[in-house]
Amino acid sequence: MKYCEDYTPIEMMIISGSREIEDGQVLIVGTQWPIIATLFAKKTHAPNAMICYEGGVVLDSIPDRIPLFTGDPCITSNSVLLNDSLDTLGMILHGGHPDLAFLPAANVDKYGNINTTCFGDYSKPKYRLGGSGGACDFGSLAKRVITMLEHERQRFPERVDFITTPGYLNGGNSRQEAGLRCDTGPHAVITTLGVFRFDNNTREMYLDTYYPKGSIKEIKEGFQWDIKISDNVKVADPPTQEEIRVLREEIDPFGMYLKNNKAKAIPCL
Amino acid sequence: MDSKIITIKEAITDLLHDGEVLYLGGFLQHEPYAAVHEIIRQKKKGLTVSKCAGMIALDQLIGAGCVDKVISTYIWNPLPKPAHALRRCIEKGIPHKIEMEEYSILSLTLAYFAGALDLPFVAAKTLLGSDFPQHSSFLGENKMKIIESPFNGEKVCLIPPLKHDLGIIHVQRADSFGNAQTWGIMGDSKYGINSCSKVIICAEEIVSTEVIKRDPNRTIIPGFKVNAVVKEPWGGHPSYISGYYDIDWRHFSFYDKATQTLDGFENYLREWVYGVKDRNEYINKIGKDKLDELRPKSWNSNPVDYGYCSKFQGDYLL
Repeated sequence: MKYCEDYTPIEMMIISGSREIEDGQVLIVGTQWPIIATLFAKKTHAPNAMICYEGGVVLDSIPDRIPLFTGDPCITSNSVLLNDSLDTLGMILHGGHPDLAFLPAANVDKYGNINTTCFGDYSKPKYRLGGSGGACDFGSLAKRVITMLEHERQRFPERVDFITTPGYLNGGNSRQEAGLRCDTGPHAVITTLGVFRFDNNTREMYLDTYYPKGSIKEIKEGFQWDIKISDNVKVADPPTQEEIRVLREEIDPFGMYLKNNKAKAIPCL
Repeated sequence: MDSKIITIKEAITDLLHDGEVLYLGGFLQHEPYAAVHEIIRQKKKGLTVSKCAGMIALDQLIGAGCVDKVISTYIWNPLPKPAHALRRCIEKGIPHKIEMEEYSILSLTLAYFAGALDLPFVAAKTLLGSDFPQHSSFLGENKMKIIESPFNGEKVCLIPPLKHDLGIIHVQRADSFGNAQTWGIMGDSKYGINSCSKVIICAEEIVSTEVIKRDPNRTIIPGFKVNAVVKEPWGGHPSYISGYYDIDWRHFSFYDKATQTLDGFENYLREWVYGVKDRNEYINKIGKDKLDELRPKSWNSNPVDYGYCSKFQGDYLL
């Protein structure tokens, strides 16, 4: 197995996201980076993963062109179930079936709360974002939530301006006290710098694994609070040459996610 | 039964009045642009627009000043890019301030479901812990309530029924009485359109009732709930209609660039909405060559069989 040397931080993030997936799992998948990470997993080590999208889709195969959003028409002719949101967000997600949920985000805070609603005060925002879509449902109901986003300091405030998608709220037991099921919540935050997980007691985010080309110093500078570092912090394996070839040539041959800045449209002001 | 087929101009004039609560169907796909543009041309005002998955149809209505209140879960251009008119409106109050009531997709779809069934509420384990419960606007305390379940004591979110004066969806086909059939990604559409007092069906094709009856599982609303049927080919452009046309990314990208400024947005409306008298002029303006590029390759399902045994078996029951 030959490791690749010429890979980008975005490619490393996508491959790290895919490594969270085991074959045969049921995934509920949000838009942007989660789309490509889950399809890559399906193409490589998790061919039997089932991919569910919020509008009512269960996919068992990889569309012949890469979906640009979770409602892309190329999805419909590759699905084993095509109906409505009460199927996927209702009977599948609320019913407790997904093993993992994948979400994009504008901001993530210390306890894994996600903001995709606005920057600044909700009633007078400095920047109005799109809103929840199904994200709040994913974060409320899924057993293990994985968030994927580019690592920029502005994206990691100590506290988000608006909790669109609940993580561990104020840490500790606060998620359960709010009424959310005890076996649900954030599992990992995967960025262009590393993989972050959550302490089982305090529920605070910590660095679990960083990438071969990065450093802990760079990671610490990427947070607006003092990010904790695991005592057993690991360095990830770089992607193999074959993984990068599959990602570039088979999953995204036109570079819709890998080259095009369109995919980076969720702002971080 | 009389045919309910009229033009979109007649349907919007007769069935949508200023200040009413309007539901728009279309969940990433099937957005009813033909109807939305006619609403803008008729300068409807003070609408409350409810749309689960808001794309640029809702952005256009907000920017055109037709809307005072919005119920939604998100509003964006699927590129993905921001919905620029929404941003101008929320951040700067252009063209005027609106009030927004926001939910998640599951909770809003359940609110439509409750509206369609006339349930007093539905209870779900979503929205808890988020900032949505404490940020309500025009629905006030009736946006949602968090209580302890009388059955197991767990906290649950009670979601009220949402009903609408008028609903509009764009579907693949309908008969002239309004039995409407659609397929593809359905999102919230079935529950939303069934929670409306008046209904306009826009369809790519008008078919005979016989065609409807050969595959009745695809009907999402029965004709007896429908007030008007409009034949509007390409009425969902630039979104897509499964089996009829693909999404027009070129137009979404053009809209993104064109509407970043207020002048640009107003120019867009002048050119593509006010500047055409109906959908036919709009599609001529897009051009046949560009439309042909959007026609999908065919992907037919195998016919399903609804057969039953015609032999009379009543004797066994007597």
